[in-house]
Amino acid sequence: MSRTPFVGFVVAAIVLAAAAPASAQVSFVGDWAGRYHEDQPDRVPGQEPGDFSGIPLNEAGRFYADSWSADWYSVLEHQCAPYTLPYIFVGPNQFRISEERNPDTQELLAIHMYLGTFQLHRTIWMDGRPHPPDYAPHTFIGFSTGEWNGDLLTITTTHIKAGFFRRTGVPESDRTTVVEHWMRHGTLLSQVTIATDPVYLSEPYIRSQEFVLMERGNQNWLYNCEYVTEVARDRTVVPHFLPGENPFLREFAAKHAMPQEGVRGGAETLLPGWKPGAPPLPLVAAKNGGFKPEEQESHLQPGDVRAVHVQGHVYLVVGAGTNIAVQVGEDGVIVVDTGATATDKALAVIRELAKGKEIRWIVNTSFRPDHTAGNEAFSSAGRTVNGNPAAIVAHENAAARMAQGKVPDSARPFNTYFEETRDFPFNGEPVVLYHHAAVTDTDTLVMFRRSDVIVAGEAYSTVSYPMIDLANGGSTRGTIDALNRILLLAIPSKNFEEGGTYVIPGRGRISDEHDVAMYRDMVTIIRDRIKALIAKKKSLAEVLAARPTLDYDGRYGAETGAWTTKMFIEAVYQDLSKP
Amino acid sequence: MKSAFGVFGATCALAVLLCIGVAAQRRGGPPPAPRPARQIAPFDLAGTWVSIVTEDWRWRMITAPKGDTSSVPVNDAGRQAAMQWDAAADVAAGNQCKAFGIGGIMRQPGRLRITWQDDNTLKLEFDAGTQTRLLHFDRAAVPPAVPPADRTWQGFSSALWEGPGVGRGPADDPRVAGGGLLDRGVPGGGGQGLRGGPPPRGIAQINRGGSLKVTTTQFREGYLRKNGVPYSESATMTEYFHRLPPHPNGDQWLHVVTIVDDPRYLREPFYTSTDFRLEANDAQFNPTPCQTAPPLR
Repeated sequence: MSRTPFVGFVVAAIVLAAAAPASAQVSFVGDWAGRYHEDQPDRVPGQEPGDFSGIPLNEAGRFYADSWSADWYSVLEHQCAPYTLPYIFVGPNQFRISEERNPDTQELLAIHMYLGTFQLHRTIWMDGRPHPPDYAPHTFIGFSTGEWNGDLLTITTTHIKAGFFRRTGVPESDRTTVVEHWMRHGTLLSQVTIATDPVYLSEPYIRSQEFVLMERGNQNWLYNCEYVTEVARDRTVVPHFLPGENPFLREFAAKHAMPQEGVRGGAETLLPGWKPGAPPLPLVAAKNGGFKPEEQESHLQPGDVRAVHVQGHVYLVVGAGTNIAVQVGEDGVIVVDTGATATDKALAVIRELAKGKEIRWIVNTSFRPDHTAGNEAFSSAGRTVNGNPAAIVAHENAAARMAQGKVPDSARPFNTYFEETRDFPFNGEPVVLYHHAAVTDTDTLVMFRRSDVIVAGEAYSTVSYPMIDLANGGSTRGTIDALNRILLLAIPSKNFEEGGTYVIPGRGRISDEHDVAMYRDMVTIIRDRIKALIAKKKSLAEVLAARPTLDYDGRYGAETGAWTTKMFIEAVYQDLSKP
Repeated sequence: MKSAFGVFGATCALAVLLCIGVAAQRRGGPPPAPRPARQIAPFDLAGTWVSIVTEDWRWRMITAPKGDTSSVPVNDAGRQAAMQWDAAADVAAGNQCKAFGIGGIMRQPGRLRITWQDDNTLKLEFDAGTQTRLLHFDRAAVPPAVPPADRTWQGFSSALWEGPGVGRGPADDPRVAGGGLLDRGVPGGGGQGLRGGPPPRGIAQINRGGSLKVTTTQFREGYLRKNGVPYSESATMTEYFHRLPPHPNGDQWLHVVTIVDDPRYLREPFYTSTDFRLEANDAQFNPTPCQTAPPLR
């Protein structure tokens, strides 16, 4: 036996013994429970409606919160939804922290948190991985990476779902990013959260919470939530208050002897010297900057076309203008929609996914060119089992409108269906097509039942208001119906509104039931507002001036481009004004 | 084999010499003079900071009604004392600064100007109530017990740097006032993402962690809140000051954790944390006398 390893061991031992003791990283491992010595009435029993004090809300955020009704929680899709990251540590909470280390080097790879309040698992990656791309799903707890600043842990979280900064309807958008700082002093963990929400906040919102190490452990680590019908009504109703009609907005200030201007929130109210009715303070506005997802290497760059696995047999191809869904298996390939641009690149990506299998079927969820531009190329690149170009499937209305639009035969669907649904098996799973006259009368939802993925087409987007096209048979009602159909089909994982069925929108990121429910809420609420204005005999100009989409414009609106906010309001107005 | 033992012997000898040398340095000669606190500070607190009142707004920005002790873990004596609050009586007795004492001053909306009075004393000036605190790093400066009648609102504060960055001096980065060089050897990754992987882009890495621990004694009794929620002279007051790594938008934050343990009025330690944003200058620093607006009701 060679003595060299032994010598090496002894040398290493001596050198280690001679070295100064190394400081260790701070460990946060253990069970922690919150201390609620700040804002306890808000954090534990729960806030009272109309209290926005201490929040740098902007005009849109205030408008949203003013419209919010506590009855919103009776909506089935919202009953079990956990709080999102920016609020979850504020509310009643206890959590367990553990570490994941490389067994060979003992390097810290990840910090794991289990949050008892909602049975949520959180991973804070310490291994330097980038944040996911912009088309990845969002979760309630988001995607987190951490870094040490000495003994202080700094965490950056993105990909957070839309939720609330306060559980009485103070909104938090899914564009929110959060920077946290954790510090430990003995059995005390102090946590600072700085949330940046360009949609609903005018500046970053800083909060800090204290947690104490639980020496004896605790109970209540499970979240038992079941949906129940609390109010007998149509399940598609979304409770809210019309602008100016919320009767509860003054109760809080009156009850607690507070100035109404103060409880309305806003960055100016957070500063020393603020007084109700006083002229605005000369300030020093904080910049509303934050983490920049577009700087992440994983972010989709112009010209990129990529594929990402959704689940089961289904993939999403992004970068071709609109989303393309691909189902791959032994039978071959189904492509849902063929994009607006970059056809060759998209085809190349699909071929790579197909691994030699043929494209058999192409499904168009709409007749619009931005979903069908690649039809001809994709069809001719594929083969049916009979050796013909891959068959294009769509609702008959789509075929008819494409024919009216002089789309060449080779790019038009000839395998059309007329009925409400069409289904067929492919790659070992049922594929179901649902027709909806949503944004046009040509829309199809595609469900891959075993993969548990819905391809929503234009009825659902995470980047714009629905492009309701009245001239081509679209309607507000039809769009809302399509969204509610998705909600009927989608089932979240476990007992809260996350994961489970994934939904691929016509445009934007991969979603789940909660995301679609929030979008459905938005369309329904805007519909109700415009309907109420029409009932008051308001003209289109007056409706536009009333800004019925104010609270959503920062998220879905556009001043320019193919589908502006004004066009959306006009479409809804004209639709609802029909006799 | 022979050469392996040769290497082993030489390494042992070197290690032993190193050990002896280190031990000699530790034992021999007069102890080195302690370096001034200002030199070993892991971060720089100097500047004018403004409190951003996002928490306890209704108890900090306005005066809550008498008897509202929400969130504070008062015991029966504390609750009863809070019910006895009489702002006019305080003024008449010259006690109008009771809400601006050590137990309440950090929670007052206002600006905080921090400077070094000397190499071992940090000076904290508050424009709210025109209060000044001195944080003494010099152990020898601790005074003997002060009779209650001679105590001050702010008491005597002993300060101590804690954490891995201590002794390295403040970070040398144009975004942080102060000097010093980034040290990649700082335990815990040193803010470089060294052992946590590279950080997300956009977060400046200039903080080495560490904190300033402050323990305050020998103060007068006062109020934790403007509306007379009390703390007694027998309370212990511990604070941790952190300068947070710069936010991606450029904001600089000071985070202060305060723990009040008062056997007379509290049933458990009272934890709060307060956040201040660095201002470009002290143009907005506006000293005002101790004055508590009456509750709206």
